[in-house]
Amino acid sequence: MVVSSPAMAADGLVYNIKISSVGPANVTGSDLIYEPETMGLAMKLHYIRGIYYFGSQAFEGLSTLVIKEPMFTWLNKYPQVCGRFRRTETGRAYLKCNDCGVRFVEAKCDKTLDEWLEMKDATLEKLLVRDQALGPELGFSPLVYIQLTKFKCGGTAVGLSWSHVLGDAFSAAEFMNMLGRAVAGYDLGQPTSLAHSRTKVTTPNGPEKVGDDPLSIKRVGPVGDHWVNVTKCKMEAFSFNVTPTQLSHLQSKLSPNGTQFGAFEALSAVIWQCIAKIREWDSNVVTICKGSEESKTCDGTLSNSQVVSVVNANFQILDSNPSELALLVQNGALDEREKIEEAMERDGGLPDFIVYGAKLTFVNLEDARFYAFEYRGQRPVNISYRIEGVGEEGTILVLPGPKGDDGGRSVMAILPENEIEELKLELKREGLMA
Amino acid sequence: MAEIVPKFSSSVKLKYVKLGYQYLVNHIFTFFLIPIMLGVLLEVLRLGPEEILLFWNSLYFDLVQVLCSSFLLIIIATVYFMSKARSIYLVDFSCCKPPVTCRVPFSKFMEHSRLIHKGNTKSIDFQMRILERSGLGEETCVPPAMHYIPPTPTTGAARDEAEAVIFSAIDSLMEKTGIRPKNIDILIVNCSVFSPTPSLSAMVVNKYKLRSNIKSFNLSGMGCSAGLISIDLARDLLQVHHNSYALVISTEILTSPNYYKGSERAMLLPNCLFRMGAAAILLSNKWRDSARAKYKLLHVVRTHKGADDKAYRCVYEQEDNEGKVGINLSKDLMVIAGEALKSNITTIGPLVLPASEQLLFLFTLIGRKMFNPKWKPYIPDFKQAFEHFCIHAGGRAVIDELQKNLQLSAEHVEASRMTLHRFGNTSSSSLWYEMSYIEAKGRMKKGDRVWQIAFGSGFKCNSAVWKCNRTIKTPTDGPWQDCIDRYPVHIPEIVKL
Repeated sequence: MVVSSPAMAADGLVYNIKISSVGPANVTGSDLIYEPETMGLAMKLHYIRGIYYFGSQAFEGLSTLVIKEPMFTWLNKYPQVCGRFRRTETGRAYLKCNDCGVRFVEAKCDKTLDEWLEMKDATLEKLLVRDQALGPELGFSPLVYIQLTKFKCGGTAVGLSWSHVLGDAFSAAEFMNMLGRAVAGYDLGQPTSLAHSRTKVTTPNGPEKVGDDPLSIKRVGPVGDHWVNVTKCKMEAFSFNVTPTQLSHLQSKLSPNGTQFGAFEALSAVIWQCIAKIREWDSNVVTICKGSEESKTCDGTLSNSQVVSVVNANFQILDSNPSELALLVQNGALDEREKIEEAMERDGGLPDFIVYGAKLTFVNLEDARFYAFEYRGQRPVNISYRIEGVGEEGTILVLPGPKGDDGGRSVMAILPENEIEELKLELKREGLMA
Repeated sequence: MAEIVPKFSSSVKLKYVKLGYQYLVNHIFTFFLIPIMLGVLLEVLRLGPEEILLFWNSLYFDLVQVLCSSFLLIIIATVYFMSKARSIYLVDFSCCKPPVTCRVPFSKFMEHSRLIHKGNTKSIDFQMRILERSGLGEETCVPPAMHYIPPTPTTGAARDEAEAVIFSAIDSLMEKTGIRPKNIDILIVNCSVFSPTPSLSAMVVNKYKLRSNIKSFNLSGMGCSAGLISIDLARDLLQVHHNSYALVISTEILTSPNYYKGSERAMLLPNCLFRMGAAAILLSNKWRDSARAKYKLLHVVRTHKGADDKAYRCVYEQEDNEGKVGINLSKDLMVIAGEALKSNITTIGPLVLPASEQLLFLFTLIGRKMFNPKWKPYIPDFKQAFEHFCIHAGGRAVIDELQKNLQLSAEHVEASRMTLHRFGNTSSSSLWYEMSYIEAKGRMKKGDRVWQIAFGSGFKCNSAVWKCNRTIKTPTDGPWQDCIDRYPVHIPEIVKL
């Protein structure tokens, strides 16, 4: 159900909210169902929030009806996105592809796009994207919201609220890219196949080998039909950009003897150490998420096929050389996907997990094709992605840098609010933040 | 005898007896003429050729007599042709196919309903039950303003909807008929609920730059049967203005600031069933259209039961207990509709039924009055008078009721049911979607007679009878173009949502 944030009403910054629905043009019929992958069910308490900022040319002179029109052909390709959840007799959740559609929100903002981006306020970004979650009425909760906020100068922010059960951030990015193709008039081809790319892990017959839960998950709940992760403390987000110069400086600092570390590994290592400094407990185990071969397909298939692995540092983080951490992140990650799937299937797909934030999580979205979303030939001038429903250990997303700054990176940190200021100080000390 | 007759009707023997009776009575003049012709022929043959020549020469042709007789014939012919009612032709008609962006599947309707009627579970459940049993499909359309949560029915949005559906229908009609806007002499627009200033007919005049001496009319508030009222009006006008074209637009605009926002169940019903649609019809009394026209108008019969209080209040716009305005449908609707239909049939029967049916009806009527009032009234078999039936797709109940009353087969009501499924209840334009269905299926042959029946608030029952002027070839362009192959579909009693 929609949870409207109090900030929205109080500020009046984003106003004139109009809500409608957009569905597929073709009739799907009454028999199509989609069973989410096991990994999807493990991710069901997480939600991806993505914002694409476009200059005034992209949506210039377009009425709402004209904007909505290609969305109908676009959604033909994704019957599962337009469906709603139901439960089987055993309680396992599945999607009935009933053409109900995605929610479409229109809003206005009296600031210009440049003024907004100047503010660099990650909390205000919540106004540009709906704070959607599934439940408590699961059968009537849309899985995706699209918000179009028009700025005073004509620039537009496209806000995507995406349920992680459908797919990871790579899939969400491709979902939006497909909209760009629909607007450009390309034929999108057949609806995406609802078969799974990874074969479902079935529990073996005989005495169940009840192993320990994988390190990367945390059992929560039971949440019932309201799929939100309630944390003890409030989670806040902030983001900062890392210029190519800063990045190469960091990389060279980490590898004096020549072994080059990628941007993600370098940033993760440094931020890991910074967080360890401000936390009283040891964050020896961190979760690393990055794209797999399957998650990078461009044919529009939605899946939760990113690699979820853990890294276990059996040495003191605070005293170690960041390059050791970087090396660990690069080479020492253990893929836990099968373990997660087993843990979920053991109980018939019913348990409630969180993955992001169960342990401190670093998500590598460098290769995600966010900037490939082209609306009428215009690419976004800026993007912002975050995750909702993150656990208390926090999550760091490493995103591609702002357009025009190729080689740089954008980092989104989602942490308990009391850690934010301290981390910012640490990052400044490291030279990552100005 | 009448009690025994229904029992025997099912037997095959009596069926043939009835057939024989029908042939005899309907072609009675032929049966009388044949013996007379035979008699004359025999007499002529008997007389022989010479006697015939003698007989011919003995005839005396006086010039004055000949002239007077021929003048008399000419006068009689002239009087006949002058006083005969002009033939009204339907050149062509066109229905608007709403864009796919307006589609409202059941799931979307229900989800929006839940959000709009938050907390009012009774209203929500009621709407769901109605939708499940409605006979509507998943492709019906609702105007863009009604897709919002809550709906935003402003006057501007209503005008937008009107422009979208009406202009789409007119554009496609002009393309089909090749008519130019300046040739339109009469314009009639009927739309019951939405009646802005200036009127919708003025909107059409403005858009298409129609002539300044056009005879334009705008009928509002007349309900779902207004389409046939417009046809009747056009017919009457075409009797007075010769050599003219009349453009009739039938539509219902759903975007209305008077859209019902309350929770009274009898008033929520229209929201569930009414959908977007419009039809444009070109009528002509020009002689040269008699070749290219699709149909010829034979009869229009209008029945108004408004004198009866119950019928008058049957479909009534009023405020509910909370002061919200909506259209209240009374529980007696089907009964009143049945009575209105009976009235209408009683008037139209003598105009269209073959002599055999009329005699049977007369005999049973006399029998009931004079001999035994317990005799069942004879329901004439209208299937003998018409090949096609277009019953206003007001709802599943209406079609079921008419099918039962007129003893129609499933194929006869197929056009109505399928129109209800694909387009919903589009009010006055639904009859034209049904005609379009029959044409698209290739069932419309030259000489076929079509009966259009519409019901509407008032309470009115109006009928129109058309005769097909030329066989309509498939594939036809029209609203059914892309989906006719999927029809007919089986419509379950209850659709599980």
